[in-house]
Amino acid sequence: MRAVIRRRPPSREIILAAAVFLASGLAGCATPPPATDAEAVADFRQTNDPLEPTNRVFYKINDGLDMVILKPAAQAYRFAVPTGARTGIHNVLDNLGGPVRLANDTLQGKPRRAGDTAMRFVINSTIGLGGVFDVAKDLGYPRHDADFALTLANWGVPEGPFLFLPVLGPSGPRDATGFGVDIAIDPFTWIGRGTTAATIGSWTRTGAGALDERERYLDGVEQVKKTALDPYATFRSLYRQNRAGKLEAMRADDRATIPIWWPRAVVAATDGRVNGRSRDQTAK
Amino acid sequence: MVYRRRCLVAGLLVASSWAGFGLFGRGAQAQAVEKAVAFVQQTGDRLTAIVNGPKSTADKRRALNQILEVAVDVDGIARFCLGRFWRSASPDQKKRYVAAFHDVLVTNISAKLGEYQGVKLTVQKGRQQEEEAVVTTIVERPNNPPNAVDWVIGQAASAPKIIDVVAEGTSLRLTQRQDYASYLSRNNNDIDLLVTAMIQQTAKSR
Repeated sequence: MRAVIRRRPPSREIILAAAVFLASGLAGCATPPPATDAEAVADFRQTNDPLEPTNRVFYKINDGLDMVILKPAAQAYRFAVPTGARTGIHNVLDNLGGPVRLANDTLQGKPRRAGDTAMRFVINSTIGLGGVFDVAKDLGYPRHDADFALTLANWGVPEGPFLFLPVLGPSGPRDATGFGVDIAIDPFTWIGRGTTAATIGSWTRTGAGALDERERYLDGVEQVKKTALDPYATFRSLYRQNRAGKLEAMRADDRATIPIWWPRAVVAATDGRVNGRSRDQTAK
Repeated sequence: MVYRRRCLVAGLLVASSWAGFGLFGRGAQAQAVEKAVAFVQQTGDRLTAIVNGPKSTADKRRALNQILEVAVDVDGIARFCLGRFWRSASPDQKKRYVAAFHDVLVTNISAKLGEYQGVKLTVQKGRQQEEEAVVTTIVERPNNPPNAVDWVIGQAASAPKIIDVVAEGTSLRLTQRQDYASYLSRNNNDIDLLVTAMIQQTAKSR
């Protein structure tokens, strides 16, 4: 069900620019309910989708493109590649996101999360054979999400109105900005830039990323379309909730960094707590 | 001096009674969470047994329906999902809406689980969250990445019922509520139209 929700580059820099350009050109506004109906107005504000008519147009376009391109491709991928190999490919792609996550963990001021990410990248890139196997998870370094949109959120930048962007799907000003910055700060965007190998690598990564992401949510997306009365509104709700959940998990993760030489009695007396939270209270 | 001592004694008494209350409260909470975990384990086992069983889709649906009617607070969720429109609905509309909602819920859950063989549910841990107990599980379905699913249990101590399911941070009842709210706002806030659309939708995806 997260398909719609997690954004991994279906394509990269150019698409973002195109998306913003297209969105700005085709602006249509939702009509707010009459001010006399206070509850309806509250609902309208909470939904925070002032560009809904435009967004719905892009939703339709994206859905159409998905039906003829990405979905059949993802189905073929699921059919042709066995589960184990797909998991390996997913792990490799995920591991490539390590440096960006590390940067964002740091910018979010979460040392333990940064530590987890660094250990995961080192362990999985080596023992995990280039990221194919998620060895780090079993060694006690679970995966978490960290992107620049979450960093901005932690710095106090509000989410802003809902945007449904061409190709990229559900987003918002904060999330779209974060998406762009994550590409810019990704070392793999720049390493060997201009060489043929790097170009092929970059496109392979983008294509495989889109396939992998879509394949994982084949069933979820299908179920929403089958069961929702208004799939657009349902995807909007799911996207927002999912992002809010990740933000909450990041904010709640206040594990202390306690040095080994620190007296154990002190740790025990404070119950290993920082800011009133348990040090073992880890996020998902 | 005497006054101060009296104050001190009174303060101590108050403090100790609070402490006692706190301990008692925590004990009762822990018990409620324990019960909620057992409840989810039991309900989960029954659900997966049906889903993974050899029966036909229609039979599975019937069996799932029986369990859900007992284990899920369907009426409460229905009321929640209609949001502010519940108050403006007529008694007859409420009745038809709740009836349609029962069908919607079973259909949706059957759609989420019913088509798989080999669904696995692992209960991880329970915790208290405000009034409710929340039980975290991992749901594995073939061909899909494992999902973290939280079961929100109301009245865990006395008559436990599922009041929400939160999959990867997304609440089932909140999503449903926003779906209905959007449908209503695009259809003149007409509850009769909503009920018709709900019935059509379940008929289509059955």
